[in-house]
Amino acid sequence: MLGALGGIYAIWLREVKRAIRDRGQLIGGLSRPLVWVLILGIGLNPYFRAEIYGDVRFVVPYTYLQFLFPAVIVLNVMYTGVQSAVSMIWDREFGFLREVLTSPMPRSQILFGKILGGATVAFAHGCLVLLVAEFTDVSLRTQDLFVGLLLIFGLAFGMTCVGAVIANRIRSFEGFGVFSNVVILPLYFTSSSIFPLNPALSGAQTRVVYPEWLVAIIKANPVTYAVDALRGVFIGFNQFEPGVGPVVIVAIVVVAFAIALFDFSRQS
Amino acid sequence: MVGGHLSEAAAPVVEVAALRKRYGRTLALDGIDLSIRRNEVFALLGPNGAGKTTLIHILCTLLKPDGGTARIGGFDVSRQPLKARKQLGVVFQEPSLDGRLTVQENLNFHGLVHRVPYRLRMRRIREMLELVELSEWRNALVRTLSAGMKRRVEIARALIHDSAVIILDEPTVGLDAQSRERIWTYLNKLRRERDLTLIVTTHYIDEVDGCDRVCIVDGGKVLALDTPEALRARYGKEQVRITPRDAAARSGILAQNEGAVAEPGGDVVIPGATHAVVDRLLGSFGTGISNIAIERPSLESVFLALTGREIRDTAGERPTIARPNSRSGEPVN
Repeated sequence: MLGALGGIYAIWLREVKRAIRDRGQLIGGLSRPLVWVLILGIGLNPYFRAEIYGDVRFVVPYTYLQFLFPAVIVLNVMYTGVQSAVSMIWDREFGFLREVLTSPMPRSQILFGKILGGATVAFAHGCLVLLVAEFTDVSLRTQDLFVGLLLIFGLAFGMTCVGAVIANRIRSFEGFGVFSNVVILPLYFTSSSIFPLNPALSGAQTRVVYPEWLVAIIKANPVTYAVDALRGVFIGFNQFEPGVGPVVIVAIVVVAFAIALFDFSRQS
Repeated sequence: MVGGHLSEAAAPVVEVAALRKRYGRTLALDGIDLSIRRNEVFALLGPNGAGKTTLIHILCTLLKPDGGTARIGGFDVSRQPLKARKQLGVVFQEPSLDGRLTVQENLNFHGLVHRVPYRLRMRRIREMLELVELSEWRNALVRTLSAGMKRRVEIARALIHDSAVIILDEPTVGLDAQSRERIWTYLNKLRRERDLTLIVTTHYIDEVDGCDRVCIVDGGKVLALDTPEALRARYGKEQVRITPRDAAARSGILAQNEGAVAEPGGDVVIPGATHAVVDRLLGSFGTGISNIAIERPSLESVFLALTGREIRDTAGERPTIARPNSRSGEPVN
């Protein structure tokens, strides 16, 4: 039993060490919140619930910066979680995976250690976003923060599992750019991250609706519910039932881990 | 351990029976049978695509065989892969170190994954680094090391845990003569000290000569398995080497003897020659010959006789490694 923990610890520690030594990843993790929150957030903040004519009656009780903030946490977690897929592909290409596969560790523990390591790094990157909370008028109250961290870790684990599924199924590696363009950004933009589902933010806007297809895509995207869960915790705004988000996150973890484990055990 | 030593010594450590593996249409292994004794150095020799790497991947449990059995230390690699792997240390042909970790971190990782307790792990790391003369490099990032040094780290790594069998797939390929010799010195020292069994694939015929037994494989079959001496006696051909005194004698010898080969150094070699040939040559050329000798058969000639190919043809290039291109059954990552 203790031996199993040692092996998982070794794999976890390697992931964490590699992430700390990878300057590029660290810079990405820091620059993303700055660009998305400070530039995009501050830039679009005035346009968000504009009421040019008549009296200003805001339907929603938050600013664009506040609205965007939880979504950027999700973005940072997704980038790093999926990046660990790249690390898995490299392990396979450069032979390191063999070193682990010829050890007496069961495949399930190898995969778990790897995902736990990736999830830890993704969690840390999600937490980096919390550093800019002050500029967004999001107050981090202790009890909310704890639930928030729990949700971020769940999401980090789930996204790393998704990364593992992709890594197992990919045979040729085209670079991280493909991942970011094919997986991360589409999921991010269709998760109601940068605009709410209902555009009725102010009086004049109540007459506007989004096309049905867009709403359908957003509702089908599981990331939508993860963003919603974090919004519920950090700014007290939910577009869906508050319980749905955590359930979806747990579902992502369970389903993606099961698929990843199935693929990984079958290969070897 | 000590009590059963004699009986264990007699029992084979690795047993392979009727092992088969097919990739699509290619039959990589076509019924391999062999058994490897405890504490021997066992060489696997074969041209590219002979099935050596496939066999090794099956022994490492990276690949599942289509048929037949392979056992390591009595554990079936398909049915009890975890226990079989416990007996095993592997040095792969392609480097499998993490370049972003230090030497020490790579070795510690291996020790943890192989469940070596802390004290023993630290002691082994120290000892093995001393053995491969890399103690001063323990805190260097692996990617800053030279190819030869990385190889030595990999060998050190395979010896951190208590393995009974060490598999080395081309451990010395691409290394200079000095590094090769060093590596063999370590391996032989360890074999004596730790009662290890070594399974080695190599292209270098002089390395094979130092092994206890040699298995020549081609087309997924075992062509011959014996000691280097016995293989020479059975399949090798003796040859007569003549150093002619001048060009006239040289062309005369070449003209009179069918099958004689002129070597670049000026010597003439007649394969398959006997004492009668020596007598005849001395009779007809006498003083035209400054040196004449019957050479014992080389393993190269054994290899040539069995596979129809020169080992030099296969040396230097990298043997084909089956790359995973479909998701089922291919060698894994």
